Amino acid sequence: MKTILMTMAATLLAGTAFAQSITVGAANISDYLDPGRDHSNVGSQFYYNSFDTLIDRDHSKLEPEWVPALATEWKLLDDTTMELKLREGVKFHNGEDMTADDVIFSLNRMYQATFAPYLVRSKDRLSNFAEAVKVDNYTVQIKVERPEPLWETLVSLQQVMIIPEDYTKALSGDPEVAEDGDFEAFSLAPVGTGPYAISEFVPGQKLIYSRFDGFWGEQAPLEQATVIRIPETASRITALKTGEADIVTNIAPDQLDLINADPNLKTEGSATALFHVMIMNVNHPNLTDPKLRQALSLAIDRDLLNDALWLGKAVVPSSHTMEEMGELHMPELTTFEYDPEQARKLLAESSYDGEEIVFDAYPVYYTNGVLAAQAITEMWAEVGIKGRVNVSEQWTGSSPEMMTRSWSNPMYFADPFGSFGVMWAPDAASEGAGRFNTDEEYREIWDRFRFSADLEDRKAAYVELMDRIKQDPPVLPLYRPFESWGMHQGINWKPQPGHIPYVLDFRAGAISLADS
Amino acid sequence: MTLYVLRTLAKMALTLLTIITLVFFAARLSGSPLDTFLGDGLTEEDRALMIEYFGLERSVWHQYIAYLRGILDGNFGLSFMERRPVAEIVAERIGPSLQLLGSAIALTLAVSVPLGVVAALWRDSWVGSAVMALAFTGYAVPNFVIATFMVLIFAFVLNWLPVVGNGTALHFIMPTIAMSGVLIAALTRFTRNAMLDVLGQDFMRTARAKGLPETVVILKHGLRNAGVTVLSVLGLQIAGMAAAGNVVIEAIFSWPGIGELLVSAAIIRDYPVLQFGVIAVAFAVVTINALTDIAYVIADPRIRMAKG
Repeated sequence: MKTILMTMAATLLAGTAFAQSITVGAANISDYLDPGRDHSNVGSQFYYNSFDTLIDRDHSKLEPEWVPALATEWKLLDDTTMELKLREGVKFHNGEDMTADDVIFSLNRMYQATFAPYLVRSKDRLSNFAEAVKVDNYTVQIKVERPEPLWETLVSLQQVMIIPEDYTKALSGDPEVAEDGDFEAFSLAPVGTGPYAISEFVPGQKLIYSRFDGFWGEQAPLEQATVIRIPETASRITALKTGEADIVTNIAPDQLDLINADPNLKTEGSATALFHVMIMNVNHPNLTDPKLRQALSLAIDRDLLNDALWLGKAVVPSSHTMEEMGELHMPELTTFEYDPEQARKLLAESSYDGEEIVFDAYPVYYTNGVLAAQAITEMWAEVGIKGRVNVSEQWTGSSPEMMTRSWSNPMYFADPFGSFGVMWAPDAASEGAGRFNTDEEYREIWDRFRFSADLEDRKAAYVELMDRIKQDPPVLPLYRPFESWGMHQGINWKPQPGHIPYVLDFRAGAISLADS
Repeated sequence: MTLYVLRTLAKMALTLLTIITLVFFAARLSGSPLDTFLGDGLTEEDRALMIEYFGLERSVWHQYIAYLRGILDGNFGLSFMERRPVAEIVAERIGPSLQLLGSAIALTLAVSVPLGVVAALWRDSWVGSAVMALAFTGYAVPNFVIATFMVLIFAFVLNWLPVVGNGTALHFIMPTIAMSGVLIAALTRFTRNAMLDVLGQDFMRTARAKGLPETVVILKHGLRNAGVTVLSVLGLQIAGMAAAGNVVIEAIFSWPGIGELLVSAAIIRDYPVLQFGVIAVAFAVVTINALTDIAYVIADPRIRMAKG
């Protein structure tokens, strides 16, 4: 009898211990949650659990494989129109049914944005999208300006996740009209259609996901997931040890051993789909000579940086390319390399006359950022360039005084347009900030890359773009940083290869808890 | 007394206006919200849009006047990031900070006053020296070092105490001790010195001569008089702690307090949050100082006479 009771008690205890609820200790939590206006690394952690796009991809696969989500089928009616059939019976977390009205509201808030934060976000990636129109309650059409080679990619962006129209409009002012105040209020009380409802959100502090029983797809594996902010790395690791957190984010490579040494804990990690880069201001009077910038780039031994700072776990690219981009992954290109001899030669031929080259770096924002900057200036010294690191919280990337600095080029979506393009297309961020120039030829090549219907044409154009970058370099991708998460042994979770960086995917199939 | 209180209030108002002005302009001198990583990947045109969205397109003087007007209406503006009233955000955060401060003060008084008295009474023996050695050590060790060591021992190795947040009474133990360390060290020294001053006074001899028991002499006549000094020192220390001391401790223990909020706001240049946060802390400091002044007067009527 005693044995039976003890067994029962043990079973009950085990049941409680694995009540399908977890606590995540995150280095940062967003101050607002709106998939439309956000493209930060902090925010991208949180949207996928609670929001859906019309078309999704199989995130367990590296290569894009499109799967139905809120749209069950889609087809092109002509070059510039896609028609999508919507899934019926989809409910928002607040109980409202999702219909075509919600879909066109969500899409047009980006495609025809009037709210400044949406406008800014839609310009760099959605400018070809004219409007979404309702055909009937469960059919919508999306219209673009020019034939679009990236239909599925751009319909599956985080920025065009679907939100409820009536709920949002009623949040402030006139319930019939979409006002700025509605979108601002929405970002504090977000509602979507995903497998987890956001049942509590304290900006910057805490977020609680609760399983949404009305979800249209496979039920969420967790009853509840609580994300709390633990800004200090040491405190995050300690919280993992004490059991206050089951998963912790943003663990630097040199901390991995500390976690792995504990038999109850483990780490998972991957080289994030994001480049830490060095940018060079082509318009700075001291840097106008392309040969000098080539020398600055060729002098940097990125493999050594990887070995020394990332224990060899980061990935050093030969070009501005990522394996997530499928057919457009072009590792065969050698746009960037380490060649100190060539650097010395080019330096001698260049206009360089011993001027100090300043490298601006954020103090903590990029892991190993300051160390990398210091190592880079040492490497410059090896070839005869006088460098100096300037550590500052200020973003100097828009200042004409800026010479070189650290930055990042994330993969906002799995196409070179979503990484290189957002930053280096004509009139995009870099040219807009005045530290990169394009000419007619570059624009023509970019246009062919962006809009050619034929994949081979796009590839050929990208080769030309990379050649332009090589000849007159404004950027050097250093590496894809290795990002790690620490967790208890009983948790089966790892970053899925098909996501943009940092997504905490707790959907069915992405996480499970061991039951012993 | 009324005049004294009025004068104190006027001083408070002037100090606050000065601080409001300073923080308003200092925040803007430190850069714009678009200078930080919020500005990553924005073109000049986008920046102009966002500057208008944040209401920063008008001249700084214009903004300053509008801000002062808003304050008179009790409106301190909306956070750039959260787009909700900053007063609401700060109100959420000030409670946990005050709770921590309160428990630190309680611990400080409970430990340092008896220690100080002991150190004074046994000043020539090893007991007094040991207490003072401890106090000097405590004063020299920064609170984040104490905090980190406690976390290492009591959480990381022994797993006795939690490190994240303020959920239970257990959560208060480490941050309270870490915050009190320097306070206890300082106050123990001041209590000892104040007691030493008092012990040599004539009225102490008189009290003893009257045949009062030694405990009554020490506690009633000694400590009561030493208390005035101790009180003013405590006020100053707490004010300093409220202004700055919380920041690191709150970060280490993920304490959802105002120190942490101000650091984040400063990093992303969320001016309205930063401004109101600094004003709220300044208000607390100025109020504590004023209350200390007034308490001082109540505790020692001679000061009231002197100050009119």
